Amino acid sequence: MTAIERYLAPADLDSALAALAGGNATVLAGGTDLMPQINAGKVAFRPILLNIRRIPDLRAVEVGQGRITIGALVTITELKDNPVIAKAVPLLAEAADHFASDQVRNMGTIGGNVANASPAGDTLVPLLVLDAQVELASATGRRSVPMAEFFTGPGRSVRRPDELITGLSLPLPRLRTVSRFVKFGTRPALDISAVSIGFSATLDSGRLSDVRVAFGAVGPTPMRGRATEAVLEGAPLDAGLIAKAAATAQDEVKPIDDLRASAWYRRELIHNLLGKVLSDVVSR
Amino acid sequence: MNAPQHASLIGQRIPKMDAPEKVAGKTRYIQDLNLPGQLYGLILRTERVHARIVSIDTSAAKALPGVRAVLTAADVPIHPIGVNKDNPPLKGDKVRCERDEVAAVAADSLEIAQAALKLITVEYEDLPPLFDPRDSIKPGAPVIHEAKPDNVAMAFDYAHGDVEQGEADSDVVVEDEFTLHRVTHCCMGVSGVIADFEPVSGNLTLYSNTQVPFLHKREFAEVLGMDPSRIRIIQPPIGGGFGSKLDIYPFEPIAVYLARATRRPVKLIFTREEEFIASPTRQPAIIRLRSGAKRDGTLTFRTVDVLLDNGGYTSWGATIPFVMMQTFSSLYRVPHCRYHTKAVYTNNPFAGSFRGYGNLQATFAIEQQMDKLADALGMDAYQFRLKNAQEAGEITGQGMHFKTCGFKDCLETAAGRSGFAEKRKALGAAKGLTGIRRGVGMASMLHVGGGAKIYPSDGCGTILKLDDFGHVTIMTGASEIGQGSETVLAQLVCEELGVPMSAVTVVNNDTDITPWDVGVHASRTTFIAGNSAIGAARKAKDKILAAASTVSNMRAEELDLKGGNIVRAADGEKVMPLAKMLRQLHFSDKAELVMTTNYYEPPSVHQDKGFKGDVSAAYAWATQVVEVEVDTDTGIVRLLKVWAAHDVGRVLNEMGIEGQIEGGIIMGQGYALCEDMPVVDGHLVNPAFRDYKLITAPEIPEMDIQFIETMDGEGPQGAKGVGEAPSICMAAAVANAIENATGVRITSLPFTPERVYSALKGKLQ
Ligand SMILES: Cc1cc2nc3c(=O)[nH]c(=O)nc-3n(C[C@H](O)[C@H](O)[C@H](O)COP(=O)(O)OP(=O)(O)OC[C@H]3O[C@@H](n4cnc5c(N)ncnc54)[C@H](O)[C@@H]3O)c2cc1C
Repeated sequence: MTAIERYLAPADLDSALAALAGGNATVLAGGTDLMPQINAGKVAFRPILLNIRRIPDLRAVEVGQGRITIGALVTITELKDNPVIAKAVPLLAEAADHFASDQVRNMGTIGGNVANASPAGDTLVPLLVLDAQVELASATGRRSVPMAEFFTGPGRSVRRPDELITGLSLPLPRLRTVSRFVKFGTRPALDISAVSIGFSATLDSGRLSDVRVAFGAVGPTPMRGRATEAVLEGAPLDAGLIAKAAATAQDEVKPIDDLRASAWYRRELIHNLLGKVLSDVVSR
Repeated sequence: MNAPQHASLIGQRIPKMDAPEKVAGKTRYIQDLNLPGQLYGLILRTERVHARIVSIDTSAAKALPGVRAVLTAADVPIHPIGVNKDNPPLKGDKVRCERDEVAAVAADSLEIAQAALKLITVEYEDLPPLFDPRDSIKPGAPVIHEAKPDNVAMAFDYAHGDVEQGEADSDVVVEDEFTLHRVTHCCMGVSGVIADFEPVSGNLTLYSNTQVPFLHKREFAEVLGMDPSRIRIIQPPIGGGFGSKLDIYPFEPIAVYLARATRRPVKLIFTREEEFIASPTRQPAIIRLRSGAKRDGTLTFRTVDVLLDNGGYTSWGATIPFVMMQTFSSLYRVPHCRYHTKAVYTNNPFAGSFRGYGNLQATFAIEQQMDKLADALGMDAYQFRLKNAQEAGEITGQGMHFKTCGFKDCLETAAGRSGFAEKRKALGAAKGLTGIRRGVGMASMLHVGGGAKIYPSDGCGTILKLDDFGHVTIMTGASEIGQGSETVLAQLVCEELGVPMSAVTVVNNDTDITPWDVGVHASRTTFIAGNSAIGAARKAKDKILAAASTVSNMRAEELDLKGGNIVRAADGEKVMPLAKMLRQLHFSDKAELVMTTNYYEPPSVHQDKGFKGDVSAAYAWATQVVEVEVDTDTGIVRLLKVWAAHDVGRVLNEMGIEGQIEGGIIMGQGYALCEDMPVVDGHLVNPAFRDYKLITAPEIPEMDIQFIETMDGEGPQGAKGVGEAPSICMAAAVANAIENATGVRITSLPFTPERVYSALKGKLQ
């Protein structure tokens, strides 16, 4: 473990970005990923420990111009309980309800969940199907990256070491949008997803359009199910289509064997659970 | 005139005496204890699981400032520990499993000790490893311990009747192989010890979490080559035991070696990861069971072959076949039984003793076959069990004498309250369909409930004193490990002496003060220590009433103790305050204090070489019925409700016994559904609570707990031991319920979603 040389807890974004500019700072938000990783020796502190929790700008939740912006420091508990989020993007609130335990939710942030880039991160699958943009800022400028292009591998993303995630920006779902989130773990609380599925589409007279499907924990990054989406787009949603979509999903995911589940079982779960989600959508 | 009514304390809901401190987070565990000048001990464990140690270089570690001692096997006397004396605390020649201790460090701080461990280099020469007990007993297999060239650590053979005759008498026969996995206790308080030598006298004090302080003391004396009378064991409050603290483990002598080498107190506490890796597990077992029955439903025979994965060394846990064979031979009436078990060495982490002591494994096998036999006979599964159930008065083939036996009441109660027979039939009709399916399952158990004479003595001593103010101090040999023993002992004494719970202090954690006890195991403490405490209290009462008789001019038989007073037995009328009587005794011419001692040895026997004999003074029974929901799309099994009926002899503390039963059910649920320790190439892959899945609050099912009170004649106030009983039936009952829900019987544990899903795949429409 490298020694921390400086600890900073700035109250404004610009100071934080200045501290990050050299690229030799570790960002601390809720610490619920960072600290276990440090303790397990998987990650080492950089010379500067930058606590971003005192920056009020990063806590805001705002709706305007057809979008909702959620600050990076919004905690998982707030995602679950904030009425604005529950109304605008219920899928995120639902994912938050399946997340860890109260203690972890109170500390853990959405920015941390995204920055950590785990294939099993529970807000990532909903953010993917909601077409979120990751808002990034550095001392030299700001940019916005579509969620689907953000992740490059387990724990890796396009975020540069001098950049901070300031928030997530999502288009407000259209009318008649149906959305679902399913997390499968072996127990109802305190479990990391063995697989997860996000689904969102507009349902009009028995047909789906603007279909977005995403999968978690079945590949190196959370992924959009493009092939599955193509099967579902515009077609009448009946038993035959559901079976075809489930089979397509099972083929397009790329899971691995690990302690939580075998690759075979993960594919079976994707098949069966997507089938359940779609049948549930039909029956509403 | 109305005399005050004094309600009995027996059967009341009495909160545990240690609860307020624990709930407030103020209990001082061993972690909170620090001695002046104390050093921090750490252990370097092997990187290999079966290898010869070529060399160990500790020079760099020794040179690190703040390091006070670095020890290897070369620095200490070689004295192996464990029942087979096969486990040297520090390994010198070879290592045999992931836990093996190759060096130890004592330093001024934990950080320095950690840094020192990293500076030790060990050179190994790998030996061919064994990970499957079936491979260990193949001819020509590598040898793990030279003293046991066949790799068999222990073997047990038992028989009654003639199984060939039993086979011939059978109309149906079933045979299966059951595979049981490895789990661990997960005590909230991790293992730890502080070793402290008095600088001048050289006397040793050990602050220890052991659950067997007196056996521990003897074993320490042997290992350390010390006079036992110079060793004192003090137990700080223990954060859970469940059998894990029944043995002496290498870390304990190592802490003493470090203290001896540095002449400073040494504190050695496990991390949680170390607790997972280096504390004992339940025995993984492969059980081959064959049973038969006649057309009328009478059991005919049982043959049992068990292979236990002992791991690298032998702990007390290797003797679980004692308990397993009781279940095979005596849970039901079975005229012919042959039983054979081998505990064999592998290079896996070694197993120890764990609540239930082999009975979970045996019951898992037997109770699944009870369902299979019933189905093969076309009989109702409940009626079939009832027909073969033991009754009071029975002396089994193994020589166990059931003086009281609530088995049939347990069966009837659990079956009746759950509607078992009707539900099993109705739910079973939908077997083979997909979706969310429901099923019910039943299992019963027999366990010792009045101690177990596995040691020449199964006794416990009590010293009791009353002070000038009527305050009672009970000094008992029985340890408190969270099970509630001190509360129940206080309650039993209060009942005799007619004083409130607030008038009692229990001293139970210092071998220099408390009298001998064999230890906390075999569900024995309430029964044995309870009887011992009652005896001491009765002696005190006799003394007090004799004195009161002289003062009051009444006969002692006409007097009693109630509400802190000496009263007239007939109507409870107060004669004089107890405290006043005690002071009169103390300050009289004949000056006397009320102090008594008592030693209770149960009327049980040490079994003979053929494992026959009435090993316990009483036997506990239980039936549990579970209802589960199985999602055939994912394999997830949800436990909806448990109906538990337990023959507890008599309820002493209703709150305490409920806590034991609820906790035991949840522990059994974890064993059945999710707890698991996958070991790959000898290494545990999930040494953390993130990946070792304990049951969490939302998974705990609704419970209907019923007490069957058989009022055991030998038990304290009629009670029997129940500590282990509630965890025993769950895995078997859940297995039967999954079969009832889906038609698929799964014979290996645990029933994780993936295992259940793959078992169901392709078998349902
Ligand atoms: C017991 C337990 C259970 C858990 N269960 C779940 C679960 O069910 N589902 C799930 O998805 N996760 C789970 N987690 C993981 C974790 O809680 C979440 O990923 C959480 O959202 C992380 O947020 P945080 O604020 O704590 O991040 P931190 O630990 O503070 O940071 C995580 C990483 O992101 C970086 N970082 C944080 N914020 C920013 C930012 N704004 N800009 C740039 N980089 C940043 C940090 O430097 C660090 O590398 C669990 C963790 C624990 C300990």
